[in-house]
Amino acid sequence: MTQAEIKLCSLLLQEHFGEIVEKIGVHLIRTGSQPLRVIAHDTGTSLDQVKKALCVLIHHNLVLYRVHKRSVVEYEAQCSRVLRMLRYPRYIYTTKTLYSDTGELIVEELLLNGKMTMSAVVKKVADRLTETMEDGKTMDYAEVSNAFVRLADTHFLQRCPLAPATGSSDPGPPPPAPTLVINEKDMYLVPKLSLIGKGKRRRSSDEDASGEPKAKKTKYTDNKEPIPDDGIYWQVNLDRFHQHFRDQAIVSAVANRMDQTSSEIVRTMLRMSEITTPSSAPFTQPLSSNEIFRSLPVGYNISKQVLDQYLTLLADDPLEFIGKSGDSGGGMYVINLHKALASLATATLESVIQERFGSRCARIFRLVLQKKHLEQKQVEDFAMIPAKEAKDMLYKMLSENFISLQEIPKTPDHAPSRTFYLYTVNVLSAARMLLHRCYKSIANLIERRQFETKENKRLLEKSQRVEAIIASMQATGAEEVQLQEIEEMITAPERQQLETLKRNVNKLDASEIQVDETVFLLESYIESTMKRQ
Amino acid sequence: MPHIEAQQRAVAINRLLSMGQLDLLRSNTGLLYRIKESQNAGKMKGSDNQEKLVYQIIEDAGNKGIWSRDIRYKSNLPLTEINKILKNLESKKLIKAVKSVAASKKKVYMLYNLQPDRSVTGGAWYSDQDFESEFVEVLNQQCFKFLQTKAETARESKQNPMIQRNSSFASSHEVWKYICELGISKVELSMEDIETILNTLIYDGKVEMTIIAAKEGTVGSVDGHMKLYRAVNPILPPTGLVRAPCGLCPVFDDCHEGGEISPSNCIYMTEWLEF
Repeated sequence: MTQAEIKLCSLLLQEHFGEIVEKIGVHLIRTGSQPLRVIAHDTGTSLDQVKKALCVLIHHNLVLYRVHKRSVVEYEAQCSRVLRMLRYPRYIYTTKTLYSDTGELIVEELLLNGKMTMSAVVKKVADRLTETMEDGKTMDYAEVSNAFVRLADTHFLQRCPLAPATGSSDPGPPPPAPTLVINEKDMYLVPKLSLIGKGKRRRSSDEDASGEPKAKKTKYTDNKEPIPDDGIYWQVNLDRFHQHFRDQAIVSAVANRMDQTSSEIVRTMLRMSEITTPSSAPFTQPLSSNEIFRSLPVGYNISKQVLDQYLTLLADDPLEFIGKSGDSGGGMYVINLHKALASLATATLESVIQERFGSRCARIFRLVLQKKHLEQKQVEDFAMIPAKEAKDMLYKMLSENFISLQEIPKTPDHAPSRTFYLYTVNVLSAARMLLHRCYKSIANLIERRQFETKENKRLLEKSQRVEAIIASMQATGAEEVQLQEIEEMITAPERQQLETLKRNVNKLDASEIQVDETVFLLESYIESTMKRQ
Repeated sequence: MPHIEAQQRAVAINRLLSMGQLDLLRSNTGLLYRIKESQNAGKMKGSDNQEKLVYQIIEDAGNKGIWSRDIRYKSNLPLTEINKILKNLESKKLIKAVKSVAASKKKVYMLYNLQPDRSVTGGAWYSDQDFESEFVEVLNQQCFKFLQTKAETARESKQNPMIQRNSSFASSHEVWKYICELGISKVELSMEDIETILNTLIYDGKVEMTIIAAKEGTVGSVDGHMKLYRAVNPILPPTGLVRAPCGLCPVFDDCHEGGEISPSNCIYMTEWLEF
């Protein structure tokens, strides 16, 4: 774990969970897997607090535990999982676009709570939705359960691993920590629950009299009955979301390079291979042109011939995203996922170079990328840039480690005057370097946001107090004049300052999410390359 | 000449050589002798053997010219002698010195009436040893505009995709004709020159190229294949990292919390937030 990653993790943990959890979490990330007593001793916190912190971290899937030899249980933090916390807004937004508000709230609840049972999720979401609806309408549990089942069917939610049921014939003492197992088939199986009920509002003061006692009664009975699906916990399947983001990136790349129809065809192909292909495979399963034609979205009436032409065009394109793997069934086509990710990663690198150093530098970079190894003189000739400028740009990129030098000696003594020096680009190492820079940038943005908030803390507290006073006065029915008086407690320049603060914080937040998009592309590329090796 | 003895033949040949009437050449079977042209023999009258040797070396170098150090290696003469001889030959207007574009201090020598080769003067892109970058830029933009308009007209025609794509391609021959007709270049440009310009557009990421097999007779085909070029859009918009000030910051490596340069007092961030 690099310094930048550790710093970012510590900032995230502190923001979401507080000081103590942050201390324990960072300690675990730094030192790897450790048993409980060692953690308590090294961080100097009491055993009780360490236990509570570990509870929180395990519940949110940030820390795993394992039984080692001699019955010692060791805890290990997952740094990459902590960094995913940055991406929560993106997950929630994606669910909103796919499954509207119900799905969005389900995923939000699960992300904020780590693991939950289905009935608990359904109840909470129904309550929240009911609050936002107009008076008199309530959200039915059945609707929320339907959304939940749909999410589970498309693998966006999965079951958490369970402790295996130990038979009564187990002789020895129970193991110090259960090893959790989950059957592949059961991961997306929704238990048959008949959740009947409606969402409840928090403030039920204006409801009709008949509604109130009924609501009170159901609440009371719920507390007494055991929850039918106790022990079956659900969590969000992050890999599935990542697969979705990757598909989105590929489709938009195709749309930019070709036209809308081709991108729709690619989207159809990706949708068809969602469940069949594991997310880390370099190629999707071959799909025949007939299948694709049948699965095209309704309303896209292009003839079979046109579809075939588009597929041939896609397969012949220099981008090489789609390949033709056979001729049966009207032509079998595969999507080359690894190549797609590699092209997106190189496009990211190119765009960073273009913005930082200028378009001529970008030209040199792409040139060396395409020709793999080039001498200084050849670079000048191909790029048609004067020698002095070309040299300057190459050295600048070299100092930032985007380009590297390969020495080929002519003589055994490696004399510099008798060696060839070739410029080359190693995409994997450049991607890693850029990823590290992204992490540090996000950490900087978070720090700046916290700094801005701290600077204006006094003002924020004042405005909060004023708002609380106004709210309470409105509830007790105050007059217009009194409300205005209170509002004037905040002067105009102060109001301006608050506005600026809000705008800045939003901007910083938004840019964190934007940098995270880059992080996602680079991470997917690195992961895909490492798997192939 | 079998009726003369070998010894006498050798003497005669040596005398002719010293008089400058014969050229001595080496081939893989042995030594060959060639009679020299009469006016050439006249030209070299008055020069001694060394000058003749140097002249021959320069003549052999053809239109690429030869550097003075290489002349020294080939003739094994000392440097001072070489310089004197070169000055002599230059004043007699038999050779000339041409400045090379690669290393501006280097001078190559070639025969007086020869045109210097492209590799020495740099061809169409160099005028008097200076790389004409504005000229290249202008050509660059013109070619790109031509390809862009072609692609747009193809896209608007809304026919079936194959035809659309094929009509958005332009062969290098077409681009060459367009540029020639545009008349922005004072120097005659060949198709290879245009292809080097189009290659720079490929490295800019604005154009892609395919090679197709074409019949020998079609115009613009070289050795049975043609290069087709097409304007394309980038596949990714500017990435997220460069939208934050940290992505473009020149002092990124010095920045850390509590230091002189830190996120809390970053002036780039302050400017960016005021946007």
